[in-house]
Amino acid sequence: MIKAFRELGHYLDVTLQVIKMAVMTIIEYPANIAGWMISNPLQFIMGFAIIKFVVESFGEVGGWNYGQLAFLYGLSVISHALSMIFFVQGWFMGYYVIEGEFDRYLTRPLGVLYQFFFTNINIFGITDLIPGILVFVYGCVKCAVHVTPLFVLQVIVTLIGATLIRGGIYIFLGSTSFHTRSATDFGQYTQEIMDKTTMYPISMYPESLQFILTYLIPIGWVSFYPVSSMLGIENNIYNGMLLPFVTLLVGIVMMCLAGGYFTLGLAKYESAGN
Amino acid sequence: MAKYLYIVKTQIIKSLTYEFNVYGNILMQTIIMITSAYFWKALYRNQSVVGGVDEQSMLTYIIISSALSVLMFTNVERRIEQSVVKGTVATDMMKPVSLFGVYFAEDIGSIIALLFQNMLPILLIGGLLIKIPGMADIHDLPLFILSVILSFLINWLIAALFGMLAFTAVNIDALIQVKKHLLRLLSGSIIPIWFFPEGVANVLKALPFVYIYQLPLSIYIGRGDRAEQIAQMQIQFLWLIVLFALFFAIHHRVTRKVMVQGG
Repeated sequence: MIKAFRELGHYLDVTLQVIKMAVMTIIEYPANIAGWMISNPLQFIMGFAIIKFVVESFGEVGGWNYGQLAFLYGLSVISHALSMIFFVQGWFMGYYVIEGEFDRYLTRPLGVLYQFFFTNINIFGITDLIPGILVFVYGCVKCAVHVTPLFVLQVIVTLIGATLIRGGIYIFLGSTSFHTRSATDFGQYTQEIMDKTTMYPISMYPESLQFILTYLIPIGWVSFYPVSSMLGIENNIYNGMLLPFVTLLVGIVMMCLAGGYFTLGLAKYESAGN
Repeated sequence: MAKYLYIVKTQIIKSLTYEFNVYGNILMQTIIMITSAYFWKALYRNQSVVGGVDEQSMLTYIIISSALSVLMFTNVERRIEQSVVKGTVATDMMKPVSLFGVYFAEDIGSIIALLFQNMLPILLIGGLLIKIPGMADIHDLPLFILSVILSFLINWLIAALFGMLAFTAVNIDALIQVKKHLLRLLSGSIIPIWFFPEGVANVLKALPFVYIYQLPLSIYIGRGDRAEQIAQMQIQFLWLIVLFALFFAIHHRVTRKVMVQGG
């Protein structure tokens, strides 16, 4: 027990050092900082503007009004930002496999997956967080949400679960590189698919697609189910106030499966020959 | 010219090496295209015509937009960044070929490979699963092809101009992202700007982005009359000239003084 705690303490120590290093690295390229500061908020502000324009042209989207869509969008962007901070490296796993970069991690006495994600922690993800929080608060006001302890708990649990689901998906996609030996970066595509499926209610899609998004690729749990539970919007699959907790459960399961798949892939890793 | 054709050829061969990339890309793009199609179908459920366009034309728009996105592939900005970071730009500049000529030839090579690896499958899958993306008026075909060529050049020049920032800023990952988002959202590739409020749409019409995707696509689905389309193509051509001028002016400046990291 004490040993486990000491180990955890060690990991926390390393994490702090690593974050310090990450901050130092980004200061190296000032133009880049400015770029991210503009790029990330811009993307989400425009994304949100588009939702507004769509609602203005077409009326409700899949039975959701403007305020409810803002709430959904905000929550989805916040979990996106958190997943960008901790798990974005999953997008680039292919390059690490091809270039033999895992050698470094394998020789150190720390978990490989831990090192892979945390030595490359992406501080810039914070720039995604700000527009997300703004839109979310705006959505809360528009929907006249009563902030109760239960609501706060539901939001926190949803965010943790949603971040884990997104992270799990990135790890899954990244780990395919161990088997295919190619450095494809599906980040852009993943992002685009995630945008369409987490920032709009999935009830607008046909039932076959809803089934896939609920059970096979659990993107529906990232935002749609927990938000419909929080706002009390009925859908024809799952309802009830417990849904945010299911999101957390799905997230943990997803992460465990992804970790297992990664470990399986790592066994096939044979570095880059030279 | 032969030198550049040789680069095009090697690039095609390079692109054909990784098989998994091809299937992965097709799969991902198909998923995106189908979700977009359902998205528009859901929006059009209670309406028949919005912004002068009906559901069927909008579905054609989506399929052709996915196919066109293949032509809008550019690697020039990453290529410049990489060669500045790794220092290979110095040796590249010593070679008896024009630097940007090589980058252009490489991108052309990649696109030729992508036409078969990506565009054809996307059109086939879109035709089978969504609808056959027929052209509204076949007589517009020459106009469409001409505007696609202009779009391609505008898109490439914008990418090259962004890439040149790497000569001074070195790391331009973030700037590439800025450009990508601007292009994705302001070019009408996902949502045509005729759904935007009039003020915003008018501002966007003055920028070069809508002339990359939206103009050729509007011609394809037959939105607006011919006079309007030709008027827009004139603006498109004007943008091409402006960007060309910018390209030459900046190109001259940045390549005179190159800062290299590593190498």
